[in-house]
Amino acid sequence: MKVLIEFFGLDPVQFNEVGLSLSTKDLSYAWILILFVVPLALWFFWISLKRIHSPFRKTFLISLRALTFFLLIFTLLQPELEFKKSHILKNKIAVLVDDTKSMSIKTFPSEQSRAEIVRQAFGTNQGVLESLANVFQLDYYLISDQIEPTYSFSSGGHYSPKKTNTDFEAVFSKLKTQYDGKSLQGIMLFSDGGDLGMPPETISSGLLALLTNWEGPVHSFQAGTNHMFKDLAIEEIDSADFGFVHQPVHLTVTIGASNMGNRNIPLVLKDGDTILLSRVVEIREGRNRYSVQLEFTPNVLGKHVYSLTVPLFAGESVAVNNRKDFQVKVIRDRIRVLHLNGRPSWDSRFLREVLANHPKVDLLSFFILRTLDDDVGSPTSELSLIPFPTNLLFNDYLNSFDLIVFQNFSYKPFIDKGYLTNIKNFVESGGAFVMIGGELSFQGGGYAQTDIEEILPVYLEDKPQPFVDESFAIQLEMNPSRHPILQLEKEPGGNSRAWEKLPELNGINLGLKPRKNANILASFVKGRDKYPALVAGRAGKGRSLVVATDSLWNWNFRQIGEGGSGRHYYRFWNNLISWLIDEPETRLLKIETHKERYEEGEEVLLHVSVFQSNYNPYVGAKVRLTIKTRSGDMKLATLKTNENGEVSHRFIPTEEGFYTIKAETETSKRKLEGKTEFSVFSETAEFQKPRVNETLLRRIAEVSGGNYEVLTKKTDFSKANFKNPKIEIKTSSKYVPLWDNWWVYALILSFLSLDWFARRKSGLS
Amino acid sequence: MINLFKLIISLLFFKIGIATAYADYSNLFIPQIKYEGGNSIPHPTAIDSLLGQVERRTSIETNRGLAQIALSHPNLYQYPFIYMAGSKEFEVLSANELQRLRNYLSYGGFLLVDDSSSNTNSKFDISVRKMIEGLFPQVPLKKISRDHSIFRSFYLINRVTGRKQVNSYLEGINIKGRTVLIYSANDLGGAWARDKLGQWAHNIIGGGSRQRQLAIRLGVNIIMYALTLDYKKDMVHLPIILERLKRHQLP
Repeated sequence: MKVLIEFFGLDPVQFNEVGLSLSTKDLSYAWILILFVVPLALWFFWISLKRIHSPFRKTFLISLRALTFFLLIFTLLQPELEFKKSHILKNKIAVLVDDTKSMSIKTFPSEQSRAEIVRQAFGTNQGVLESLANVFQLDYYLISDQIEPTYSFSSGGHYSPKKTNTDFEAVFSKLKTQYDGKSLQGIMLFSDGGDLGMPPETISSGLLALLTNWEGPVHSFQAGTNHMFKDLAIEEIDSADFGFVHQPVHLTVTIGASNMGNRNIPLVLKDGDTILLSRVVEIREGRNRYSVQLEFTPNVLGKHVYSLTVPLFAGESVAVNNRKDFQVKVIRDRIRVLHLNGRPSWDSRFLREVLANHPKVDLLSFFILRTLDDDVGSPTSELSLIPFPTNLLFNDYLNSFDLIVFQNFSYKPFIDKGYLTNIKNFVESGGAFVMIGGELSFQGGGYAQTDIEEILPVYLEDKPQPFVDESFAIQLEMNPSRHPILQLEKEPGGNSRAWEKLPELNGINLGLKPRKNANILASFVKGRDKYPALVAGRAGKGRSLVVATDSLWNWNFRQIGEGGSGRHYYRFWNNLISWLIDEPETRLLKIETHKERYEEGEEVLLHVSVFQSNYNPYVGAKVRLTIKTRSGDMKLATLKTNENGEVSHRFIPTEEGFYTIKAETETSKRKLEGKTEFSVFSETAEFQKPRVNETLLRRIAEVSGGNYEVLTKKTDFSKANFKNPKIEIKTSSKYVPLWDNWWVYALILSFLSLDWFARRKSGLS
Repeated sequence: MINLFKLIISLLFFKIGIATAYADYSNLFIPQIKYEGGNSIPHPTAIDSLLGQVERRTSIETNRGLAQIALSHPNLYQYPFIYMAGSKEFEVLSANELQRLRNYLSYGGFLLVDDSSSNTNSKFDISVRKMIEGLFPQVPLKKISRDHSIFRSFYLINRVTGRKQVNSYLEGINIKGRTVLIYSANDLGGAWARDKLGQWAHNIIGGGSRQRQLAIRLGVNIIMYALTLDYKKDMVHLPIILERLKRHQLP
């Protein structure tokens, strides 16, 4: 071998094997030559030699011709010598060790954590692993929802589970990709089986499909047991991320109980410190999982963090899973409007059309169709009139409305004065109220010095004739492109033109004196006199607005008659409703974070915008940021707004949980507040279902043809068997062609020449 | 001849013209359509009388009086309710007038058409149907069903009548869920109209005072519907209204 390698001028150290190969892949024509053409040609040649009598000469000539054919075929087959160096490869075994937090849960009665049990098993089987490593290549991985190569177990290093999610499907999928085309002969899996994504007591179809097609067994070693494992956990809360204000939110809570005996436990739902509801759950021996349906009704808009808790009992393995927080964004599904009309009129009819056609409005209208002075001329049974349900509206269901509209409505004798106090309380606690003018509004409705006057943005002055039926031009008192109510068009120029084109109004309520903090949006102008027409203001947490005329319908029907459209009338009322119900885009202080959910250690970016009451940017406003967590309130920063009335702030939250950031500023007129909420997660999901999932580990082994075993001090890894087919690999090779040289061609030529010469000498042509 | 005399007397007492209607913007006023040919004011006191009944029976404040308005008048859109009456054939409305009336009705206006002839297939009826066909070629005039808000907007009504019951139903045009035009063939105006002394101007044919009362109630309901639309179909009203309709089989 060495001589041959050296003969071809190669280094014997680099090559340890020689082989012969044919570079021509298609050998069919060679076989045709060898089997048919060459014998036939030789046979014809032999016949042509019949005139030669010397057998020696005949044999010599036929041999020459045969040798020539042999060399030709040899050349056609292109034989090569392959000098190569090859090795025998080890087959691979992947050793997967669960690296998630659930591995830190202790097992009874040894008080060892699941991770310690794994570590101990590796210690006692060190010899087995070493002998296995002599035959196979052992690849160690820490697994969670990722696979992370590690040398900890082969080198006896540190193992401290810390990952937050187990996902076997992702792990096996990644392994499949990683070992594609490589000789993975099996897997040793060390885990508690705590995969939260798995359906209870079975294996997911995705994982099942992966394992069914797996080459080589998966031997699963279960870390820990459920024996004497005592725990009460809120495993899962199934709820929508958002809910609707005044509408029930439904929750499905899964409670896990292990070795808790027979007892009744309270499940408590809280919003901050307020208990919303409590439900008794009957825990019974032998049953591990309980599904509880809960329902609560949020009454305040915005993001809310709710917490569900079950009591913590002595001896429980995991404490953190007795409480689980969840967030619900409470939004407005519908705008519930109570529309009271003192008498049917064109103004009320066109407004009713706006409200009834508003896609988000749930409208409840009442028209006072007759007064006590009216003579209907028929018995009540022939009338469609219904009694005015005052107690129902202003006591029982008042808080379910978002907006109350009094349109040319005198409360006497329909509403008891006491109910006006309810309306005031409704507005001051965040409701919306608008009074639309007419003979029966303001002073005409008897509202002077009542609770209604207190929530109006105007004082009601004593006037002998508080309503005049005359035409007035309207004049805006604010930049219409800034205030959300006045934005009839998006483009400022178009907006101004829209206001200029609106028809004049007729019929105004006089004697309305705007309060100090109120905003006059528009006035009536008659000669040199000016009267407030649209006045907006706040009352407690709510908003109220005054429309001092009963002729806004002119902006719809009459505008159409003048060649315009009713579009701006609709836009005006939609804007007005949005502002009244305090839609987020109409707020003077807006605070938001760029995300709603942050990981622990991630930077939070806060953005605050402040506007003056006329919606111009508030430049230089001092904004105080306060942060509220489970640990309590803390001052975060005090900042100043820039020329756009905006300011940003970045910080890193110090602990996990739900955060409320409150921004406050004081303008010249009042204090503005806004808040936003976000969550910081250090995943504790692994503790929501802390029980060992024996079923899953057993199924993984069964499906793949491996063994399932619970790790104990006596566990012997050598029971895990793997196939070990021989795998060779070439590390270097060189090909030397045997046909592509002058020797071969010279021989062919020599044989042909000798053949020609011998034939001539024998008298043949 | 008597009718002509009444008209002359009426003209002495009622200033006909749109200018009279401008005083109180907030109150309800109903002008009558002025058209060419026929007689556009068969009962000059009808609307005034009806508005008087509306004021007496309901909370609606009205401006009473007679005023005529041409469809081409620039102030047409100040009056979302207009009344058209007649007993004779009238000239076809011009394309411009039809277009204006079509827009008026489509964008919020309301028209009550009243045939004062007390005859089936009168010349006025033929003219009206021709006008409506030109007005809304795609939307046919249809009988108004008994569960329409018009029959429960104030009074509970289960019988359609007028000075003479020519048809037992009203007809109407619906645009986007709103009835924008009502056509009565029963001479409602004749039942409403009063003479200068405040007495009923015309005898009721076939039904007596109860029939007149029902005609007035129907007038009140039509006005109430124009001002409140389908308000009486709101869920809060339905249980009581349906219960009353069930208990009382009204005449």
